[in-house]
Amino acid sequence: MNSLKPGSIFLISAIFRVGLILYGEWQDAHMEVRYTDVDYLVFSDAASLMASGQSPYKRTTYRYSPLLAFLLIPNSFIAASWGKFLFSASDLFVGLFIRIILKQRKVPDHLCTYSMLIWLFNPFTFTIGTRGNCEPVVCAMILWIIICLINGNVVQAACWFGLIVHFRIYPIIYALPIILFLDPRFFQSGVKPLLCDWTSDQGKIRQINSQVTDQFDGVFSSFVLAFSSDYMDGNFYMRHCSIILLAQIQDIIFPSISTISILTMNVIFRFWKSSSPLVLVFCFAKDLVFCFFVQTVAFVAFNKVITAQYFVWFFCLLPLILPWTNMKFKWQGLCCILLWMGAQTHWLLWGYLLEFKGKNVFLQLWMASLLFQAANTFILIMLIRHHNYAPVFRQHTGLKTTQKKHE
Amino acid sequence: MASSLRSWIDIRSEGKWKSSRAALVLPLAPPPTIAVVDIDEFAGKLSYSMSTRHCNRLCLNQKLAILWMFLSGAIVSSSEVETSRPSDSRNSDDGKYILRSYFDRYENLDDSSFENFMAHELSPSLCQVTPENRDHGVRLSVRELSLVGEGSHRQLSSSIRLQTGAESIPELPPHKCEVIIIQRLPLGVFADPFELQNLHKRIGFRDVAVFGDTNLELPSFRSNRSAAEVHIDAGSDILFTQNSGMEINMLLPLHARYQPLDESGYSIIEIGEPDILTRCSMEGKQHKQSCLFMSPNDSGKSRTRTVEWKIPAGMKAHAGFVSVVTFITASLSTISIVYASMFWSGTKVPST
Repeated sequence: MNSLKPGSIFLISAIFRVGLILYGEWQDAHMEVRYTDVDYLVFSDAASLMASGQSPYKRTTYRYSPLLAFLLIPNSFIAASWGKFLFSASDLFVGLFIRIILKQRKVPDHLCTYSMLIWLFNPFTFTIGTRGNCEPVVCAMILWIIICLINGNVVQAACWFGLIVHFRIYPIIYALPIILFLDPRFFQSGVKPLLCDWTSDQGKIRQINSQVTDQFDGVFSSFVLAFSSDYMDGNFYMRHCSIILLAQIQDIIFPSISTISILTMNVIFRFWKSSSPLVLVFCFAKDLVFCFFVQTVAFVAFNKVITAQYFVWFFCLLPLILPWTNMKFKWQGLCCILLWMGAQTHWLLWGYLLEFKGKNVFLQLWMASLLFQAANTFILIMLIRHHNYAPVFRQHTGLKTTQKKHE
Repeated sequence: MASSLRSWIDIRSEGKWKSSRAALVLPLAPPPTIAVVDIDEFAGKLSYSMSTRHCNRLCLNQKLAILWMFLSGAIVSSSEVETSRPSDSRNSDDGKYILRSYFDRYENLDDSSFENFMAHELSPSLCQVTPENRDHGVRLSVRELSLVGEGSHRQLSSSIRLQTGAESIPELPPHKCEVIIIQRLPLGVFADPFELQNLHKRIGFRDVAVFGDTNLELPSFRSNRSAAEVHIDAGSDILFTQNSGMEINMLLPLHARYQPLDESGYSIIEIGEPDILTRCSMEGKQHKQSCLFMSPNDSGKSRTRTVEWKIPAGMKAHAGFVSVVTFITASLSTISIVYASMFWSGTKVPST
């Protein structure tokens, strides 16, 4: 593994992706089942509308940023697969950014290489870009924001963050950890913040200092105001449960339950849904990448809908946290991977029976989805337990000595 | 050490930290060996106290930022944003679709109003068939109707026979004819217009379009009916030949919508035979003329052939415990994640 140079890895990845794109074109033309994602056709249609001066939203089911249609305008006059090449190039950029971030934190070469390989040769990720999905662009921007933040370029990070939230709504969940991360002790004008280097020392203990609790007090009051509002209302998961549950209770047991109790249950559900991400943020904000990762996993696991492209949102952050984990690949890591894939396959099996065989397996499908939720929760907890909490920044050498002596 | 400490102090004293400079002068007095520890310790405590004082402003800024973030999210999500639905492109049709005329008059697809439309509104467009030339023209009949495939995505297979009349009409100018198939779909299924456009390019229908409710994502009970209109080339100058026939086989891909709850666990959908017409276009002296041949009225009464599609539906009896168990699972997941974050994270693995 040490003999693999980063240049060769990128070259092989690039050739592999080009090959997949060409294969995808062949499959589209010759086989019943298309390789290209349906979304790519939507993007292309919207881009061709934009190229002819019309609104991309004339294409029904196009619900993305107009910037995406703008990026794909060359589909009309260069090649129909221009977009796929663009997304695959973003894919390669993600690999490059992973290497940059890990190198800045002085992670040893072999761990850097493994991390890059985990992204560049992950079947979930290379198919996403080559099928024409725009998620690699989002991942590349998120990693670039992380690079800007760890280099102290706050204004640039803010601009990119604004752009990415416009492009895709979900990165808004990173706003709170970024705010907590922007500690003026580290971010000062004209001074690049000092990074905590990777170390093989396994003995780190998480430190909650009073600043975090102060911030928690401040945010909790905002949170109380917020969870009674429609913020993050895109996750209707719990709300649907509440409505269904209450409707059924109303019909079956308590005919006189009033609207107030329905609203209360709504509020309680939103509290549950919002509480785990908030706690995750407060516990891990200083270790920014890990915080992003656990937030994203929790967000995807508790979301109303789930699709394979959402996994890419946290797969791009996984290589960045693996150098700090105690979990060994044999057998803990392997068990987690097999459990996750097994739960997913099991769920997809029931989905296949329902959709393609027409059997009424709604109940089994529901149980499989709960199992997948449980698997996600278990894996998240395992990762939290085995993670060496490592704040991204350290204070200047004088203070660091003090803290070490006190441990 | 002192010089590096001083430079550290200088850096720290930029901006907000200037007030602390006076307090930092004192630690430089003790001898160096002790100073290394004491200065560091003092500087550590000083920074902590400075940060505590400073936290007031820092925390206030952060609180304001967070509050603004939540409130702006609340404002944005609570305001209803009307997304403009793209209007159907009416410009390029040139009146070729019969269903377009129907949906211009009626808002939703309804069997009785559609049959009324076919019987009365289309009569000006019909080719003149008198009792004398009844044997002229074209007859169409549906030979077979079936559903192919399994699951939520199936194909409606219709086999149509086109038969020209017993006598030819030699005085007609050169003409081209097409068969128009109008498949009315019930509430529980839909045809994907984009899929049909792709098929149109691959298989070679002359034209294909879907009218009515084409929103792919709506469940059955929130949607309206739709209908697909397919135009297939029937050839040129067919009215010159007598008693000739052709078979047209059409496979229309259909998809099931989410069904309302049902006690039995399945929802039965019935799809009837398509309405079929022939349109022949002749190049007139000034402009193109066309007229329609419709199936005679008496065949409408015998058009009772339907196919049944059994689509899985949820059962109301399950709703209660599904909701409760889902809530409990989600709650347990949340509690365990919160517990793990607060009490299990960053634990030391004993080094062996």
